[in-house]
Amino acid sequence: MGASPKPDRKPDQALSRIDMGQEPDIFNDFQMDALREIGNIGAGNAATALSQMVGRRVDMSVTQVKVLQTDGIAVFLGGMEQNVAAVHMPVYGEICGISLVFFPLERVGELCGMLIGKKEEDPLHLSEIGESAIKEVGSILTGAYLSALFRLMNLQMIHGVPGLAIDMAQAVLDTVLVELEQKEEVAIVIETKFLENDKQLTGSFFLLPESGSLKKLFTAFSKTFGFSGNG
Amino acid sequence: MGEENRVVGIAEIALSQSPQRLVAYGLGSCVGVTLYDAKNQTGGMAHVMLPSSKLHSTEAPPGKYADTAMSHLLAEMLKTGSLLRYLEAKVIGGANMFASLTQSSVPIGLRNVSAVRQILGEMGIPIVGEDVGGTHGRTVIFNLEDGRVEIRKLNLPPEYL
Repeated sequence: MGASPKPDRKPDQALSRIDMGQEPDIFNDFQMDALREIGNIGAGNAATALSQMVGRRVDMSVTQVKVLQTDGIAVFLGGMEQNVAAVHMPVYGEICGISLVFFPLERVGELCGMLIGKKEEDPLHLSEIGESAIKEVGSILTGAYLSALFRLMNLQMIHGVPGLAIDMAQAVLDTVLVELEQKEEVAIVIETKFLENDKQLTGSFFLLPESGSLKKLFTAFSKTFGFSGNG
Repeated sequence: MGEENRVVGIAEIALSQSPQRLVAYGLGSCVGVTLYDAKNQTGGMAHVMLPSSKLHSTEAPPGKYADTAMSHLLAEMLKTGSLLRYLEAKVIGGANMFASLTQSSVPIGLRNVSAVRQILGEMGIPIVGEDVGGTHGRTVIFNLEDGRVEIRKLNLPPEYL
């Protein structure tokens, strides 16, 4: 905190606006490629599951994969007071932690339209079915990325029951970081675009691992791909 | 000083003086505690994560736990020349946002609030304002000119303590 950006960092407006959110260089290029591949596999599976749920074709693609310091997540989401809908789930297994799927609050009404065929007017007072639909889509995304981690790297994980919080981004993170007291300082982010006909929406999946879990991820990288982490 | 606002991050403690303001964005289950010395127009804020350092063995900044945060904050205020009898506290935060993640019977936010109240009581510092609990996060802006605390919540007009 309070550190000045490294001079060789490539400029990234959203992140340099506040003195936070430097991307830690703990994953090498191969490992980032592997994470992107996990994103692609996961998004494909999530799209299939979601299309089945809504009975229409919904496409998904990964727009970016990043590793962020936990204190840079809010900046990534548009600022600490950015209003969001956040689906949160505990994650258990070889990597334990919490997963979060964020949607910008102003698009949540449309997301409900995509999911349940009826746009919701007031995202602060969602209908029960709207709320369950948002939780379900968070659950589908999380499940798909966790199973991609299993398929590609044999890391076995499951997630618990999803909950939904509608609040400022930083308030969600504040609470998650308390629950996850023994946390790693970084989070893996997979930003996913949802496409249905001409409509498009973005949701960001975050995995915040508990302390010690990243080591398991590095071990899995080296077992799977024959190279090891540099962190 | 320069900056108009000094941001107090999770587990941080910060002191400042008018005209600067101390700001904690998005308190969820964390608790923001302000101490104000009206005589000197100085103040401090702690952004507390957990109720007690005694339940944890890992090394951590003092601002993380209510007990260590409060004694550190008080000590720093006294160092800058404040007198205990002039200090007033406000307590903000401790929401219970994620019912589904709560593992213990008493939500962590409320445990943070009770810990802070108890410690302030032991220190003999009066709590002159509180906005705690509930299910929504809060941004806290502590104005050191008059000790007023502005609280912002999702989609609501600001409230003042």
